[in-house]
Amino acid sequence: MTFRTKLFWIFTLAMLFAVGLIAAGVTIVTRQAFDELNRQHSDALIAQFQKEFARRQEDVVHRVRGIAEEESTTRMAVALNLPKGDASVYVNDASGVSRSHQLDLLDFVSNDGSIISSAEWPARFGYKLDWITRPEDWATVGPFLMKMDTAEGPALGLMSVAKVPVADKSIYVVGGERLGKEFLASLVLPAGMRALLYLNLDPSFQSANLIQTSDEAVDAERFAPLVEKERRQPGEQTAKIDWTADAASAEVFHALPLQGRQRDLLGVLLVGSSQRDAVTLERRILWLALGVVALGLLIGLLMSWWAAARVTRPVRKLAEGAHKVAEGNWSARVDVRSGGEIGQLARAFNQMTDQLVDQRERLVQAERVAAWREVARRLAHELKNPLFPLQTTVENLQRAKERHPDEFEEVFRESTGILLAEIENLKKIVGRFSDFAKMPRPELLPVSLNEVVRAVVKLFEAQFGAVGRPPITPELHLEEDLPVIQADSTLLTRAVENLVLNAMDAMPAGGVIMFRTTSEEEGAEVHLEISDTGTGLTPEECERLFTPYYTTKLHGTGLGLAIVQSVVSDHGGRISVESETGVGTSFHVHLPLKPPPHPRPVNFPATLEENEAADVTPAAEEEKKEA
Amino acid sequence: MKRTLLPRLAIISLASAFVLSAIPARTARRPRYGGTLRVEIGPAMSSLDPAVGAANPEDAAAKEQLDALVYDHRNADGAWAGDVGSGAFRVTAWEAGKRASLAANDDYHGGRPFVDSIEIGLGRSARERLLDLELNKTDFAEIAPEQARIAADRGVRISRSQPDELLALVFPIAGDGKDDVRVREAIARAVDRAAIVNFILQKEGEPAGGLLPQWSSGTAFLFSTAADARGAKEIWSQIAGSPRLVLGYDSADSLEKSVAERVVVNAREAGISLALKNTAMGAPTDMRLMRLRMASREPRLALAGFLERLAPMTGIDEASLSNAASPQEIYDRERAIVESYRVIPLVWLPQVYGLSARVRDWKVPAAGENWPLADIWLEEAP
Repeated sequence: MTFRTKLFWIFTLAMLFAVGLIAAGVTIVTRQAFDELNRQHSDALIAQFQKEFARRQEDVVHRVRGIAEEESTTRMAVALNLPKGDASVYVNDASGVSRSHQLDLLDFVSNDGSIISSAEWPARFGYKLDWITRPEDWATVGPFLMKMDTAEGPALGLMSVAKVPVADKSIYVVGGERLGKEFLASLVLPAGMRALLYLNLDPSFQSANLIQTSDEAVDAERFAPLVEKERRQPGEQTAKIDWTADAASAEVFHALPLQGRQRDLLGVLLVGSSQRDAVTLERRILWLALGVVALGLLIGLLMSWWAAARVTRPVRKLAEGAHKVAEGNWSARVDVRSGGEIGQLARAFNQMTDQLVDQRERLVQAERVAAWREVARRLAHELKNPLFPLQTTVENLQRAKERHPDEFEEVFRESTGILLAEIENLKKIVGRFSDFAKMPRPELLPVSLNEVVRAVVKLFEAQFGAVGRPPITPELHLEEDLPVIQADSTLLTRAVENLVLNAMDAMPAGGVIMFRTTSEEEGAEVHLEISDTGTGLTPEECERLFTPYYTTKLHGTGLGLAIVQSVVSDHGGRISVESETGVGTSFHVHLPLKPPPHPRPVNFPATLEENEAADVTPAAEEEKKEA
Repeated sequence: MKRTLLPRLAIISLASAFVLSAIPARTARRPRYGGTLRVEIGPAMSSLDPAVGAANPEDAAAKEQLDALVYDHRNADGAWAGDVGSGAFRVTAWEAGKRASLAANDDYHGGRPFVDSIEIGLGRSARERLLDLELNKTDFAEIAPEQARIAADRGVRISRSQPDELLALVFPIAGDGKDDVRVREAIARAVDRAAIVNFILQKEGEPAGGLLPQWSSGTAFLFSTAADARGAKEIWSQIAGSPRLVLGYDSADSLEKSVAERVVVNAREAGISLALKNTAMGAPTDMRLMRLRMASREPRLALAGFLERLAPMTGIDEASLSNAASPQEIYDRERAIVESYRVIPLVWLPQVYGLSARVRDWKVPAAGENWPLADIWLEEAP
């Protein structure tokens, strides 16, 4: 992840966090405001309901008193006061009177509490309402809630009692309005509100006791906790019911206890307030906020991108400069005009590259001197051995001429033979140096690496089993389907020969030399492994093995493996060595099927490359001289 | 002796004077031919053909009365037979379910009826009949017993038969645990028959303890009609599981509805769980409220008529009594049925008729008899 990307994400996340925090704050504050508004709304509605309820109570009282004051009721009371007063005559009166006075519940009750006529349960005549005969001044008792028995079962009634006093035997008019579906439907409630009534007729919550105005199916069990709470502790309670997963379906219900004369809980009025409007409005605000957030986020993203780009541009330039330096372009410079730390960093970078160039030049000079010294040392070492016999031979000739002229001819012949041999030796030494300096460019043709290996093995067969030296056994593990590669077979053969010679030198006591060819899994390369069971190399020797003129042998030139590496590199391949002292050494050569157009530069020390480029290497010098 | 003779002579003289004074009035009201008798009935029957079945017992009863006017004899099965119009009247107009017009059959072997014709309004409700009687728009109509008191208060001329229709709770054979005699006995004890007569029937009728009325069998007083809520409660408490019972009734019959509701109230007071269901819905019920009309004033025949109707439902012994059955045998049979509690008699209902003032020589038909419309005559309008 780039610095710019990191910076972009940091800016973005910071902005997201800030925007989220603000959005959450706005949402919470909005919700609280709506909750408060809802509460006030519900309170107002409950107050309205209570007012309506009080009005209905007064209305019931008024109507019951009206019935009691009617002439027909008085006549009934008078008739029942007579010695042979017959109550059966009036058994059906209550129904008609209740209809005319729009009362759901109406009973005419005799002085002893027996029902004369009942509108809500006509068949109940003759039975007694004991509570009505208790000493009580019904004129001062206001309306009250009461559980009434009807033909359909128990019902909750908003009741009033009026006494019709006639002589000794009064009669009572017990009338009221049933708190049921019609009562709920008659309540004037604003849109979004509804009222339900739970009749507390059973010891535990019963769904069938829940009354609502509409025929819409409702999951009555959802009210059970609120009703049970009300039963345990009568008072105003509130609960929110989520009908579905949609928050807009929620309703807040206020439970109002409906208590009888003995403070017994007869019913619970549930005034529900729909949350749909509030939730819809809240959602609108939320969506608006989300829109603003999204827009802000988009702008923020663009600004973050721009800011990140602006901040990271100098850093990117610095990175590019560093990359160029890493690639070898030490003269790379960074053009940063900004001030501050980035500017200082850029200036320091430029200063650093200047110093690097300066130091590299000095290093090159030092390495060049060192290389020349090394070449001189090797040359001196190589040339010193042949020169010494030359010197002694010439001195022998001189001495023979002076001291033994008669033997001079013989000495001369011997000496010239020695001189010629040593000169030939010198030419060989010089030739090897010249060969290394004149490594030709490979001429690429389709070549089978297996064939190259087999040819080399065949070439060395005689030497492997030469008389007077311990035998060396070649082992070939060549992959049959090895692909053909584009290579210069001559150079490749020379490289393999050098590796074989190297292996043979490493096994003075004989051993096994193993050749293995394989193709890489990707199919883009072939692999040649040449292993010996020789003395092995130390890690330090392994590190310097491919350095030209480095050798561990007494008479080696130190150019064999350098040539191998040069050939492999010219083919776009690579060579590596694994060795363990006392066990053996393995060389691994990886060659591409087709070398790249511009093979990698030979990984010679810079000093030698430059020497070659400058054509000032000892071999070149010699070639020049020869020319 | 003289002291007591004088008052006796005085009484005899007064009675003779009253009888002598009545003779001219009676001779002044001799039967008169002519006029159209206006009749209203509740059922809206579709046909007078005896072969066509009636929709319900009320329709069947009304059809029986009209068929008796237009057919002259019954066949061996007891159904009316012969040609339409072979009876005292001929059908001159027929609108199914609405009205019928009958004309006097001059050739009727029993003699021509006094009235020239009868206009019959079909499908008239009890309220309409009562109002029409009050307004003198009809001469003859049946009145529900519970409305007789109101009708009389409103000045309607009322005629009552002996109580000959039994309203009873009938328990069909049930295969479940509810078919327990204790269940039936508890309900029988719970019902307050007197309250039904006094309040619902407005004192028209009698509480029924047996299957035959006192005026017919003379043994009805031996059956208890008193309510025993405490006894019912005690019996009910011994029944395991407290079954929930369903009482079926005909909701179109206001009297049945009122009585059924009262039975539920009584049962509830005794702790018995009882619910109502309209039998018109066809749903099975544990018991049914039924009207059973006496087929005859003779106790044996009346009991046989009840058995014929109830035995298939209740499984009680249908074997009829012999013609020579003694009153004791009839009573024993009646007692056995009552004590099985398959049939719980509730009340005896009379047939109540409303008559206009111009109807003369009306004789209340006894149980099993038809309306004697051919024998009445109409007083000429003043």
